[in-house]
Amino acid sequence: MADDILETFFQYLLQTKREPANAIIDEWAKERSYREAVFKILEPALVRFGEKWSTEEDVSLAQGYIAAKIAEDIMTKAAMERPMDVEPESKGPVVIGNIEDDYHALGRKLVVIFLRSAGWKVYDLGNDVIAGDLIDKAVQVGAKVVGASAMMYTTAVNVKKLRKEIDSRGLSGRVKLAVGGAVFNLRPELVGEVGGDGTARNALAVPELMERLYDEASKG
Amino acid sequence: MNETEHKVVFIACSIFKSELEEIKKKSALNISVRYVPSMLHMSPEGLNLRLKSLLQEELARSKKVVLLFGDCHPYMHEQESLPGVCRVEGMNCPEILLGHTRYSSMRMEGSFFLMAEWSKRWREVFKEGLGLKGKTAKDFMKDMHDKLVYLDTGLLPVPMRELEEMSDYSGLPYEIMSVSLEPLLAEIRRCMERILKDDIHTSD
Repeated sequence: MADDILETFFQYLLQTKREPANAIIDEWAKERSYREAVFKILEPALVRFGEKWSTEEDVSLAQGYIAAKIAEDIMTKAAMERPMDVEPESKGPVVIGNIEDDYHALGRKLVVIFLRSAGWKVYDLGNDVIAGDLIDKAVQVGAKVVGASAMMYTTAVNVKKLRKEIDSRGLSGRVKLAVGGAVFNLRPELVGEVGGDGTARNALAVPELMERLYDEASKG
Repeated sequence: MNETEHKVVFIACSIFKSELEEIKKKSALNISVRYVPSMLHMSPEGLNLRLKSLLQEELARSKKVVLLFGDCHPYMHEQESLPGVCRVEGMNCPEILLGHTRYSSMRMEGSFFLMAEWSKRWREVFKEGLGLKGKTAKDFMKDMHDKLVYLDTGLLPVPMRELEEMSDYSGLPYEIMSVSLEPLLAEIRRCMERILKDDIHTSD
């Protein structure tokens, strides 16, 4: 039964059918809970979707966007089930933004959704964020990982300023730098060139990257 | 064609065809242009290879090259850094037309830019290329942007029907903004001066 629901839900993800995907979860959660739906349906379906996204080129922008929105819908419903006085368990704070001069928000927005779904407390500073502001926020909230998104080479080189800011404030090793965006997928060597500590091929792979970088930063 | 014009070739995105032809006419620039189809932007690797091949061809003929493109594929930086090559300033076509300050402030306001050639092809780009249809398209566009802004250089009729359809499809209002060709002309002049100056130094 759960396998049938999982398969149907996964097909809805692929077909960008947000309403039917929500409806099937709503129905399932009536006798169980949305939190159980997250673990038993959403997460396994997203893992399959992520594998497809990483290995096949025919996952469209629309599919990625709707998968994120469906995940956000279900996580919101799961959060509503929690008693008001109970704080959600958090994996830790992370700060992210599109680097200076970059306005391509889609990737960042998907990353925010998938990170929050995975239990991270995300501080999203938006588009065109200068290096100093990202690091100020990281210091303020105690984030061990800062994520910078850039779509093009022209803006990717601005990530170097972020690396410099981390190093000049003596935070090297204690604050890790995650980078992402189309240009890093097409030119992986850029990750090291701009001073990044790691990248992920798509938004669904970012929570795993964050866990690795967070562990590395914790070890100093 | 004078000696300077003889030395220079433009490799330009077809999205700028009307603007570049107008500038050539008004500035009496008799320069050869090789236009590359704008739809190649949907395939960065295809664009990279096409430009690589055109640059090799023109540089082998001892030509100086002005690239009229944004940062449209991941290896553009290497191509524009070749001796005898200059790319106009701007990371994409709206920024090339508007200049950095105006472009940035309009992006911060949530503008999504449209130009003549892509306005006619919006269905091909959004529906077929990106797979955005129906409610998904509206949700997506409204999540990312606040308005459509058509950049009108005054050289082609404003495609009103396409703007209306695009507005209906995206759920976003549209504006038509008149744009001067002066920033583009200034960038073309800067590039030509630079590559020809490099040429004088090389000859020395």
